[in-house]
Amino acid sequence: MRRNLSITALRLALAAIGLAAAAIVYAFPLYWLIVTSLKSKAELFASTIHLLPHNPTLEPYVSVLIDRGFWVLLKNSVIVCGSTVVITIAVGLLITYPITRLPVPVSLRVGVLNWALSLRFLPPVAVIIPYFAIVRTLQIYDQPIALIGIYSLFNLPFAIWMLKGFLAEIPLELEDAALVDGANRWTAFRRVLLPLAAPGLMAAATIVFTFAWSEFLFALILTATPNAQTFPVGVQGLVTQFEIIWNDMAASGVIAMSVPLVLMVIARKYMVAGLTFGVIRDK
Amino acid sequence: MQNPVRAGRRRRSRQERLAYKILLPALGMVFIIVTIPFVLAVVQSIQADDGTLVGLRNYARALSNPAFYDALRATGLYAVIVLPAEIVLGLGFALLVHRTVRSPGLRATLYILAVVPLVVPPVAVGVVARLIYAPGYGVLNVILERLGIIHQEIEWLSVPALAMFSVASVDIWQWTPFVYLVLFAGLQTVPKESVEAAQVDGATWWTQFIYIELHYLRPLFLLILFFRAADILRVFDHIFILTGGGPGTTTQLLSLYLYRVEFKFFQTGQAAALAVVVLVSISLLYTLVTRLLPLERT
Repeated sequence: MRRNLSITALRLALAAIGLAAAAIVYAFPLYWLIVTSLKSKAELFASTIHLLPHNPTLEPYVSVLIDRGFWVLLKNSVIVCGSTVVITIAVGLLITYPITRLPVPVSLRVGVLNWALSLRFLPPVAVIIPYFAIVRTLQIYDQPIALIGIYSLFNLPFAIWMLKGFLAEIPLELEDAALVDGANRWTAFRRVLLPLAAPGLMAAATIVFTFAWSEFLFALILTATPNAQTFPVGVQGLVTQFEIIWNDMAASGVIAMSVPLVLMVIARKYMVAGLTFGVIRDK
Repeated sequence: MQNPVRAGRRRRSRQERLAYKILLPALGMVFIIVTIPFVLAVVQSIQADDGTLVGLRNYARALSNPAFYDALRATGLYAVIVLPAEIVLGLGFALLVHRTVRSPGLRATLYILAVVPLVVPPVAVGVVARLIYAPGYGVLNVILERLGIIHQEIEWLSVPALAMFSVASVDIWQWTPFVYLVLFAGLQTVPKESVEAAQVDGATWWTQFIYIELHYLRPLFLLILFFRAADILRVFDHIFILTGGGPGTTTQLLSLYLYRVEFKFFQTGQAAALAVVVLVSISLLYTLVTRLLPLERT
């Protein structure tokens, strides 16, 4: 009995140590990013580096957003990601509604889902060369619309698989009841299905927004000026400068990650489902 | 009097027609948008920069360039460091939390904390990594010096082996939580009865894992490997920010190499040829492996 107790205690101690180590490895980099983003210019050139906040200031944030004009990039990001979400969810619904709510052959449903899955494995860098040529030809280089189109396409697989999961869970009888009562398909969709699917749609929309927000490669290549550049491109510009202004760079990093972190609170339950195409559903 | 069976069938076929009416335009549009670039890539790959057809010359040039094989080697090395580390650490933590943490509140908190790294944009993760590893200002050297472990700055980003380690560590930081979340969720599907029965029979931590839990996790390992491998082929952002592929070409993975051929050397034909090679290889791999994935397709 005593032996069991001591073994349990040992295990708990090991577990605590393991979790504490993980906590430090995960928390410290983010902590350090925030601390650096609150440093004044003078402190950057101080001879000793303070690990604790030392006269914190919001100066770098003002410098990034106002002086460097990054608020424009933030605005571009919001426009691009918002439009991407609307298009992706709309097209996603057009594809998932028929295959989950209407009688179509199983092979068609499986075929559509498999095809969507295969798009998930398309490496952007391999298709960017032809896309670059297309964007040039259509004369939409350095315009938000180019990014919106491509982001919508690349997020469609996630949207299809997530929406399919949510729609399939709503009993067909609910819509049928409305149809029997004389509603047409569109009304039944709008009045019955859409409200029931709303939480799922919100989750999918949030995740698509997050993914689009993080995208960097297409934005780097298909934009050139603040006319269409998104926020990650601006962040990158601060990093690869000849002389790095550490506090500004850190502040831009904090801004870049704060938006998805806030959104995550809404969609946290569905995040893993989205990343694994619905294999992991619980929680 | 109308035959009710026939009326039902007619209603069904009307619904099916509606399904196609909605589905086909949407699918058709997406299909065209996806397919045009493929076709264009093939066309670009058999053209010289002035538009004359050169057959497979671009392929021959691209595939005979030793830098391509350096990029493949770097990608392989990266995968060999990153995948086992993420799986071992993620599995370790999943088992640890599954067996020691009982409080639902703490489990939920750990879930949220594990999601955090997954939503941080890779560009921002690259910024964090710079603050840690950069020469002169990197905080890792500062900490190691204050702890008395080192007395001279370690050049994390300019010594080839260390640069690869630094770049890989960022990937491990960001994606181990994903492995943890997937495997932890998998562990919750193991039936309690079989675990209890095994414990009555005297199963230890290890035998319980090998003989019972592993069985339920196996399809998930496959899923993780597949998703992560696909991600490694596209990894770009944090390396671009942290080392830019350097020193030399040590951390220039396949995606960075392709980027360089097209947008730094402006060799569109060769870049397109490489893109076609990559796309064809991935499609082949995809058709071979995808059927094994535990996805609900119906």
